[in-house]
Amino acid sequence: MYNSSETKSDRIIEVNDLAKEYRVYDKPEGLWASVRGLFRRENRIIHALRGVNLSVGRGEFLAMLGPNGAGKTTFLKLLSGIITPTRGTARVLRHLPWDRADDFRRRFALVMGQKNQLWWDLPAAESFRLHQEIYRIDPARFVKIHDELVDMLGVSHLLGQPVRELSLGERMKLELIAALLHEPEVLFLDEPTIGLDVVAQHTIHEFLRHIQKQRSVTVILTTHYMKDVAALCERVVVVTHGSILYDGSLEQIVDRFTTHKVVTLDLENAPAPGEMERFGFSCEVHGPRVSLRIDRSRIADVLPKLLSSQQVRDVSVEDVPLEEIVAGLFRGAENRQAGTDLKQEVGAV
Amino acid sequence: MRRYIKIFSTFARACLVRDMTFRVNFLLECLTSLGWMSMNLAFYLLIFSFTPEIGRGSGWSREPFFAFVATGLIINAIVQTLFMPSASELTEMVRTGGLDSVLVRPLDAQFLLSMHRFDFSSMANGLVGLGLLIWSVLCFPAAPPLIAWLLYPLLIVCGVAILYGLIIMLAAATILMGRNQSLYDFWFYITNFSRYPAEIYAGPWGDPLRSFCTFIIPILLVVNVPAGTLARPLSGEAWGMVVLTFAAAGISVGLSRVVFQAALARYRSASS
Repeated sequence: MYNSSETKSDRIIEVNDLAKEYRVYDKPEGLWASVRGLFRRENRIIHALRGVNLSVGRGEFLAMLGPNGAGKTTFLKLLSGIITPTRGTARVLRHLPWDRADDFRRRFALVMGQKNQLWWDLPAAESFRLHQEIYRIDPARFVKIHDELVDMLGVSHLLGQPVRELSLGERMKLELIAALLHEPEVLFLDEPTIGLDVVAQHTIHEFLRHIQKQRSVTVILTTHYMKDVAALCERVVVVTHGSILYDGSLEQIVDRFTTHKVVTLDLENAPAPGEMERFGFSCEVHGPRVSLRIDRSRIADVLPKLLSSQQVRDVSVEDVPLEEIVAGLFRGAENRQAGTDLKQEVGAV
Repeated sequence: MRRYIKIFSTFARACLVRDMTFRVNFLLECLTSLGWMSMNLAFYLLIFSFTPEIGRGSGWSREPFFAFVATGLIINAIVQTLFMPSASELTEMVRTGGLDSVLVRPLDAQFLLSMHRFDFSSMANGLVGLGLLIWSVLCFPAAPPLIAWLLYPLLIVCGVAILYGLIIMLAAATILMGRNQSLYDFWFYITNFSRYPAEIYAGPWGDPLRSFCTFIIPILLVVNVPAGTLARPLSGEAWGMVVLTFAAAGISVGLSRVVFQAALARYRSASS
């Protein structure tokens, strides 16, 4: 378990053996099959989560990574009490989320990048007022927090505009304000930067980093963007097929799942064909620019040889890009799952 | 309770602001609604040009019957203004997962889901209904007794409560099924029965239907009892119906609460 030194009272979220299964109708193609389906249906069980265990401390900023359908959003929906689990328990702020106690719901917020929570036809200011009533926010406190958040995101000019007329980035900023008005202790963010341009992404990163530090909010973020993770999170949980594949720091992912580094050289002249392959196991040559993958243990040995044998203008030694490592992890899990499914099928036969 | 009233008024104000934003649409909806109602009234006037009473000896002559129609208009306007827009939106919310954001709010989900959207254009019918009621009562040979005037608004509330319970149970079906496009159709069919005096349901087919719509799905109590209290003398049987209406309203709201909570516990959400 990551960060095992923390005391039990520091743990804001505790999840034990949490599982969620869905029964779905396996609809065959064709009209006749549809007619048959009116009388007899074959259902399939989808294991959205398979017995997840997790503990999150106060003030942690945790990222959940995983391919589509891995179970990330299901996990957040369970922790928010939107759906009930098939098995297992979870405690968030000492509450069982799916009891949907008002005291619990007043202390967390959920932002979904693909779903609108503000009133579509009305200006955001109206939705914020409604929030004030729903969350019983003291009027003076409301004004203070509201003004602070609006200033931070520079959206004062958007408050009077109907939400449907806003761009995606503008809307997301206002969604975040709505989520933070009641000063939640826990914030669940489900792909908050999806579809945003780099400027909007950067603004939201800065904002979230500031808010999380200033208020010690515990944040769980699900995303497909490594930029989000690298900018915000210290701890990463990789989920595939409803199970946790990795739970640890961002740096450890690189150490644990890669054995090599990427050395990029800018040479005076393009190398002769086949000349560079002897230094690394993967070599890409684009004119005078050469990119080599070299085993970490051999870097100190190979690099001087490279520099002495070539006329080098510039050199860089970097870790394998995070996207690539995580994609590799997903692919590995995909293959293992396919193998398991095949074994189960063979076993069944 | 004060908080809920405040939230209710905030929702109402926001909806009014929205309706006013699309003012042409608002006016068109008012006109459509009034047009539909006028056609109905013209139809009833046509019937009374052929017969002095609906149902022999039933007491539903022209003015009492228009008091009945007015009561139906008032009750229907309240339901259409306050509850129906939210309930019909629920189908879409369940299908798209919009219900998620309601369930995370520290507020009663049934309240939030059944009273977050209003249709103020439906109030036009209610106002006409009120005018029609006043006209009908003024035409009565004798003014209704004080007790009838006291009971009338309470029975209107009961009628609304019975319909509200039905709407909520239909909405709960939406949550369980994931999709329930027949909600509006079913609502139309079932409320159709309440638009006519109970006395017309007689005979070998009518009697069982009347019993079913009085005791099982108490839709016949909704308009008949408040209108009857005002338009006809309060006999022993009429008092029995008044008590039954109060009981039906309580049971309808209570049962809808149980069914709705059970449905929410089985909510699956939608893919993000």
